[in-house]
Amino acid sequence: MSEFKELIRQFDKIRSYVRDFYVYGFKTRDDFREKSGRTYDNHRRRMESWFSDYIRTDQNGHKKSVFLTLDSSRMAVNPLYQAWKSKTFTDNDISLRFLLSDLLADDRSRSLETIANEIQERYHCFFDTQLIRRKLAFYEKEGLITRKKEGKQHLYKRNSPLPFTHPHLFPALWLAVSFFQGAAPFGFLGSTILDFWDKKNLFFRFRSDYLIHTLEDEILLSLLRAMENKYQIRITIKGTKSRHTNILKVTPLKILTSVHTGRRYVCAWQTSSQRLSSFRLDSIQNTELLERDPCYDTYMEAFSGAFPHVWGVTFGNFQREALETVSMEITLDENEEDFILTRLQREGRGGSLKRLKPGLYQYTRLCTDSMEMLPWIRSYTGRIHSFHCSNPAVEKRFKDDMKRMETLYLSSESTAKEMHSLTHQSGKAVPLTPFT
Amino acid sequence: MKTNDNSLFSELYTCYYQVVAHILDEAACHFLSRRQIENLAREHGCDESILSLVPPLLQGNWPFLKKHESILNTYTSALKKPLFPQPLTRLQKSWLKALMSDFRFQLFFTDSQLEELKVALSDIEPLYRTGDFSLFDQYEDHDPFSSVMYRSHMHTILEAMVQKSSLSISYLSQKGNLLNHIWLPCRLEYGQRDGKFRLYAVTESKNGRKRMDVLNVARILSVKRTDNVFSSPVDVDSFLDHSLCKEPLILEISTQRNALERAMLHFSCYQKKVERLKESDSYRCTIYYDQRWETELLIQVLSFGPVIKVLGPESFLMQMKKRIENQALLMNGKGVIL
Repeated sequence: MSEFKELIRQFDKIRSYVRDFYVYGFKTRDDFREKSGRTYDNHRRRMESWFSDYIRTDQNGHKKSVFLTLDSSRMAVNPLYQAWKSKTFTDNDISLRFLLSDLLADDRSRSLETIANEIQERYHCFFDTQLIRRKLAFYEKEGLITRKKEGKQHLYKRNSPLPFTHPHLFPALWLAVSFFQGAAPFGFLGSTILDFWDKKNLFFRFRSDYLIHTLEDEILLSLLRAMENKYQIRITIKGTKSRHTNILKVTPLKILTSVHTGRRYVCAWQTSSQRLSSFRLDSIQNTELLERDPCYDTYMEAFSGAFPHVWGVTFGNFQREALETVSMEITLDENEEDFILTRLQREGRGGSLKRLKPGLYQYTRLCTDSMEMLPWIRSYTGRIHSFHCSNPAVEKRFKDDMKRMETLYLSSESTAKEMHSLTHQSGKAVPLTPFT
Repeated sequence: MKTNDNSLFSELYTCYYQVVAHILDEAACHFLSRRQIENLAREHGCDESILSLVPPLLQGNWPFLKKHESILNTYTSALKKPLFPQPLTRLQKSWLKALMSDFRFQLFFTDSQLEELKVALSDIEPLYRTGDFSLFDQYEDHDPFSSVMYRSHMHTILEAMVQKSSLSISYLSQKGNLLNHIWLPCRLEYGQRDGKFRLYAVTESKNGRKRMDVLNVARILSVKRTDNVFSSPVDVDSFLDHSLCKEPLILEISTQRNALERAMLHFSCYQKKVERLKESDSYRCTIYYDQRWETELLIQVLSFGPVIKVLGPESFLMQMKKRIENQALLMNGKGVIL
């Protein structure tokens, strides 16, 4: 039986486990049947170690669920970054990382032979010269050292840390990194910068932060590289509902982030269907770079033309004349409920707002797929005087939903059922203790 | 391809390297016992890191520690130079370069600092272009990041937070009242949804008790540093604990319309617990929330419609019922326009 290792070789092996533990949290060992029970046990143990401050367990009969729970607005640094900081290494990797760094810290240039000799003399360690050469080449590629040719030989020199070369940038740069490690794409890299400088985020917190996005960063990076170079790619998608795998040829155009639902998408031109489609980043398993797409600019134009009419991420078969119209009338107390108007204006995404009479406002918007607007419309429940949509299915869905809400909350039967439900909670009766 | 192909998942960023660096940093100052080394591994590493880290360090597989000649089982660093700060990788620098085109970046720097950084990163390609992203449902009234006054206020606040000095602030409250007061700035909270900075600042009320106020940075009219410096740190979280809900929100989530998946992701930023209900095809979700944001949470729950049902607490349930009652009246043409 192989020994348990806290670190991992491949990131994609752990990605879905972290997601399931964090987003769902109710799954037990039996729910992870795609791999063996031992694989589950090892990943669970890893996560218990990485996220020990935020791991909780729940026993339900013989079944135990392990889950990750935290209030993201209290986090100085996203704990899920830990998954990125768990790459395995060899004894030689770590030894040369520290010894070369220590040796070259005096900012002197040295040849490979000098480096090998000095490592032996100073630290009493012997490493094969080829091994050192390979490591130096790796560090050069990563930008940690510089190589220059002098005469017949190459000289290696460490690149100086920014706090030494540009002291005037501090503490401003530390503060900026502290902020953006939580507020910008690839924030994980920002947290490694704090690690490299032995600094912490002391002052910033992030409300409504979807920490889970970090797990998609490798996919995101490959999409951005393709976008920058106008390339076509092949993506493998695993549906979040059906778990069915699909392989598609697409040209990625834009990353669409929802700060309300926690979903991130890539909008791409889909070659097979010849239309704009959006794919969730968490459903993309891998990407493969193909060739430069000569029609990239045309697709981008199509995106720019359609996007202002899209409420969320559904482009459909965009045609201006086929846009759907949504109209709702909202009631409010103009003396005390000005905030409703503010909401309509700031959340309305370009829709028009008209005062019909005192206390009654009409919001109207055209869009490609009005079904996407329903969650936002429903958030005004209690104030919707009327709702109309040119798509009858959407209007029906809205009205049916409101009827179902009435049945759920206002019928006497539902009240009795809900009291029963509260007093007969399944599983462990002890509630989760909030972090204080 | 123009951009570099350095990998995000690299040994260079592994937490073990940082733990070892901290141990060696300490061992450079004084001899460390095995216990002290283990404690440092525990402090800077993960729960089980100690098992994989300490043996190779002490047994010499990783040749960075020297044994003390006379005192048994004590160690010092074999390295000569300080371990921090470390030089950045190209990938880290390209992330910094990408940030430079983010309109919030200038809030942290003076013009001359921005110029200096631009020169320092002149040979680096940005990791991404800000324009490749669209936060399509972010509110439109985000803070005025490009305003000269806003930037100047942020500079003053950041400087005061680092120096731990208090600020004299003139503030226009949401109700339109002008407040002039002295506050000690403690924390800046950024809201991803509304693109606003909120300043958490402590002040003393008339009875001498400390109080935490939350100021919207965009509503600050003027701000000036004072000479008062506070050395003792303020525990912001302990202030916030007072506003935690007394009873958690309990939801029943059905599996219709992919509601479970949608809700789990939607509410993932809260501290929560989810259970599968045996007797039905649904799930119970318990959410702990800050009472200050209760209305926001209520709106989020309403947006799911009938696929989520609020089971408790009573006060939350009553608010739901009230809204649905109002809606039923409006739908039946009996509603009153206010």
